[in-house]
Amino acid sequence: MTGTALFSADIEHRGMVLDPRTKLAVILTLVIFVLGGTGGDIRAVRIAASVLSLLPAVLMLIAGQWKKAVVYGAVFGGMLTLQKLALPELKDAALSIAGMCVMVFVRLMPGLAMGAYTLSNTTVSEFIAAMHRMHVPQQITIPLSVMFRFFPTVLEEFSAINTAMKMRDIRIGGRHAGKLLEYRLIPLMVCSVNIGSELSAAALTRGLGVGVRRTNICQIGFHLQDFAVLLLTASVYVLWILGIAGVIA
Amino acid sequence: MKGKDLINIGIFSAIYFVIVFLIAMLGFIPIFLPLLAVLVPILGGIPFMLFLTRVKKFGMIWIMSIIMGLLMMLTGMSWQPLVVSVITGLLAELVYKSGNYQSAGKAVLTSGVFSLWIGGNYLPLFFAAEKYWSTRQNFGQDYIETVTKLMPAWMCPALFAAAFVCGIIGGLLGKALLKKHFEKAGIA
Repeated sequence: MTGTALFSADIEHRGMVLDPRTKLAVILTLVIFVLGGTGGDIRAVRIAASVLSLLPAVLMLIAGQWKKAVVYGAVFGGMLTLQKLALPELKDAALSIAGMCVMVFVRLMPGLAMGAYTLSNTTVSEFIAAMHRMHVPQQITIPLSVMFRFFPTVLEEFSAINTAMKMRDIRIGGRHAGKLLEYRLIPLMVCSVNIGSELSAAALTRGLGVGVRRTNICQIGFHLQDFAVLLLTASVYVLWILGIAGVIA
Repeated sequence: MKGKDLINIGIFSAIYFVIVFLIAMLGFIPIFLPLLAVLVPILGGIPFMLFLTRVKKFGMIWIMSIIMGLLMMLTGMSWQPLVVSVITGLLAELVYKSGNYQSAGKAVLTSGVFSLWIGGNYLPLFFAAEKYWSTRQNFGQDYIETVTKLMPAWMCPALFAAAFVCGIIGGLLGKALLKKHFEKAGIA
């Protein structure tokens, strides 16, 4: 696995720790207000959502991922400026292309960045403990945690298979272009199934198959930093409600 | 359902979602937006059929469907896909259950019913078009007009039908590939 492996946080070097539930609340809020554009007609909500979009950069900075934080902050800030200054000037095809870039970076990226931060900063145990506290049944939490843990593996295997197939000229425009999909999907599935059986064996040794209530040594809970982040998150909702009620324009 | 089954759900959901996500990126080109209902079920059918060979207990297909709905909600497709995926997932589960979790014909049909969840992603386009576009103004008027032209109201049931039919095609394709590759490798 690479250094940025998901769901395998380096517990000793990750700085300030937030409760997984706090991170989840931030992701949901970003999806509703930034990606979903709820309350976009209220100016205060738009500003608060933009501020919230910068939160992932701050959190990454605290967690010592300063390179990612700077890149994210710069791209987000740049795109936001582009949206404010350049978009009204463009039209037709240029508008479509620029609009899509802005859409991807200003709308989609904050949620993805927060998701990436959450996954790189939460251990599987903490995630399961938090889900357990929220009374989510283990029929949902186990597949979900396996899935998030598995995404990078799938992508890594896929790029390796892709390289191997390109070498055999099985690519777009190559001699065997017809086998393009079959010769990628099938090996991907075979190796995924094998990795899956290994994961299952590992999970069985952790007592996943016993069917009794599992214990968890993770200390999760809300601290001062959680309240600060939750306050910021809640403020977006409050502004939105105030805006709907007509208190602020 | 035991730990092993739950892990299998997670693994196949991951493969399936990666395929969905890669194809969905094509949706930025207007003509591909309705075509997603064709491409996703056909390509997704391949891992889904392999997943079905692992399904022996009630609830596995349903959970996978619910997870797809949750992921769609988290990636900004609003709540409609989740509602649809909860219902179609249960239907798919019942179809496969009626074949005692081993009938090959029922498996292909299950793949078709399961694929209906993809239709749910289009619902906001038809029933909340104004809100849908108000959050996508950045795409430019050209994109909006092209998609609106591509998506008259009758397209809504047509997309569900396309997802179903292509799910069956994907199921058949998956079955053929299972036979060709996986049975002799001993993992189907």
